[in-house]
Amino acid sequence: MSIPHPVTRRLVLRCLASPPVSASPRAAVAAAAAAAAAAAAPSTCRSFHNTVPLSVRRRPRFKSVRAEEMGLTSPEKIDEWSKKNFPEYSPEEKEILQERYTPEQIAALEAGEASINPHDLTIQGRLRIDQYRMPYIEDFSTIQPIIDKRPKTKPPPDPNAKFMTEEEFTEDLMEWARKFFPEHGKDAKTLRDFVWDEYKDKPEEEWPEQARKKADKAYHAYLENSGNEIKLDLETLGPSDVDVLDYITNRSVLKGKTASSGNSALAPALMNAVPGVAGLYKTVVDPADEGLDDEGQYKDIKRITNMSVREIMTIKTKLVVRRWVSNQTRLGKIGRTQLFYIAGNGDGWLGIGSAKSTEPSVAHLKAKMLAIKNMRPIPRYENRTTFGNVEAKVSGTIVKLSARPPGFGLRVPERIFEMCRMAGIKDLACKIPRSRNPMNTIMAAYQALVNQPDPEEIAIGRGKKLVDVRKVYYGGAVH
Amino acid sequence: MGIHSIANACSHLQNASRARLGLTSIPNTKYNLRLMLALHRAGFISSVTRGGPSPPADLFAEPEPVTAQNVATRRLWVGLKYWDNEPVMRNITPVSRPSRLVTSDLKELSRVARGFEAGYVKGLNLGETLFLSTDRGVLEVREALERKVGGLVLCRVS
Repeated sequence: MSIPHPVTRRLVLRCLASPPVSASPRAAVAAAAAAAAAAAAPSTCRSFHNTVPLSVRRRPRFKSVRAEEMGLTSPEKIDEWSKKNFPEYSPEEKEILQERYTPEQIAALEAGEASINPHDLTIQGRLRIDQYRMPYIEDFSTIQPIIDKRPKTKPPPDPNAKFMTEEEFTEDLMEWARKFFPEHGKDAKTLRDFVWDEYKDKPEEEWPEQARKKADKAYHAYLENSGNEIKLDLETLGPSDVDVLDYITNRSVLKGKTASSGNSALAPALMNAVPGVAGLYKTVVDPADEGLDDEGQYKDIKRITNMSVREIMTIKTKLVVRRWVSNQTRLGKIGRTQLFYIAGNGDGWLGIGSAKSTEPSVAHLKAKMLAIKNMRPIPRYENRTTFGNVEAKVSGTIVKLSARPPGFGLRVPERIFEMCRMAGIKDLACKIPRSRNPMNTIMAAYQALVNQPDPEEIAIGRGKKLVDVRKVYYGGAVH
Repeated sequence: MGIHSIANACSHLQNASRARLGLTSIPNTKYNLRLMLALHRAGFISSVTRGGPSPPADLFAEPEPVTAQNVATRRLWVGLKYWDNEPVMRNITPVSRPSRLVTSDLKELSRVARGFEAGYVKGLNLGETLFLSTDRGVLEVREALERKVGGLVLCRVS
């Protein structure tokens, strides 16, 4: 029995478990007791979803065999593999190495080899053999800016650096100032020079009061006099404004010269000629252009069409639709010129291109180039008209083009007339029964001209032989 | 002999063709069979087979005899043609409707075949053709012109 829903199944099982109604009352009592016991027994396991619970864990039908059970990862196998893949240098290889490296280098190589256990290489190592691996295993001799971290050439900053105290700052300032007066201060006198001779060798604390006072007085008098000398010097030798600025901006206010490391977290500046960009924004005059395209306007179209500038310039282009479109923004209207150009060689090729730009000259150029780029072959019957009547619809515009006999001329609206002239169609009639929107008209006409039925294809599809009777009667001289 | 089955067959064939089906079926009537044979002659369809409600396994096998019991379930199985990723029979539109039968005489047909309008029938364009029910059977317009007969215009195919 298969009952998918657990609730339903429980219900059905219970119904099946209860015995049929028996005649004897004793049996009925027993049955009722059994039913009560069944009802009182707690339901086994309540599932919160309605999928069928499985009695046992599902096992795959095809058992996989572990590598261990196959004996692939036994220690002997691992050793065998590592000996095979990471062997020690053979004596011949060592000879070759000796030719190439100095004994010191070989010693270093051997030490390096010895430091790596081949067992670890087997278990943990990965030698990449995929096609996206780096072109080297590891080569630390050169720095590759994309892969490697930038080296820090300067020592790290001193972690114990502190701001200078007032005294230290004064000393630092004095030291800086002394640079500008290297001669000054060498023979400068100190307080010790003015004290009596018998105290000159003794420390300052042991001087008597009288001696100290006299020395102080004499020293102050000396300082006042020498101050005048310094003033004179300042005008000639003193630090320039540049030096002062350098002091303010660059002099460290931290104690110790290693306070700032000089390692920068900023990316290095760009090179003068950035690879991949160099020369892109400079137009290089192509000598094959014969001086016709010095501004590089035809560069892209040349690449796309694979034609020379002279050939491109022979393609006729004509402006067929010009309109003004504007985008209303909160800053006002942003007007743009939209132009439709057609391009053709007058011999069965026609293209249309439309471009918009705030700058009309740009729109002209873009639309012209697009028209040239979009040129497609137009099938023509006898190189003068279309194959039968063709029709195309763009939006609300339907353009119906009808083939006409030789000498009929182009009795079509102005824009389609220009298109026909560019494509080399000479006999055509046209009806535009619905909307005559200029843009849609030229687009529909283009679609109609490009998607003409091909009589050869129709004949092949139907398995018929096709003959153009105009070319049969009168020896084909029907014009 | 009404032509409603012809109109239905036209719509069905056009739908099947645009849905790129290889084999489709229409009710087995004499009129349908004649039109299908005419289409086959003109190269629009690849095969016409009489069969039952399910597609015949072998298109060239002898069909099951039609009896009073199975006559209602008989179908015509039509093989559709494609060339260059396009259906060979892209448009098939009935001209005559049960409410308006359109007939063309020889003079009108010759005009239509040359691409000019005649009566209710528009001129034929490149690759278009017309099928008529004449007293010589269902014929393509050029066959009818050869035999110099006019008739009931059934459908226009291109």
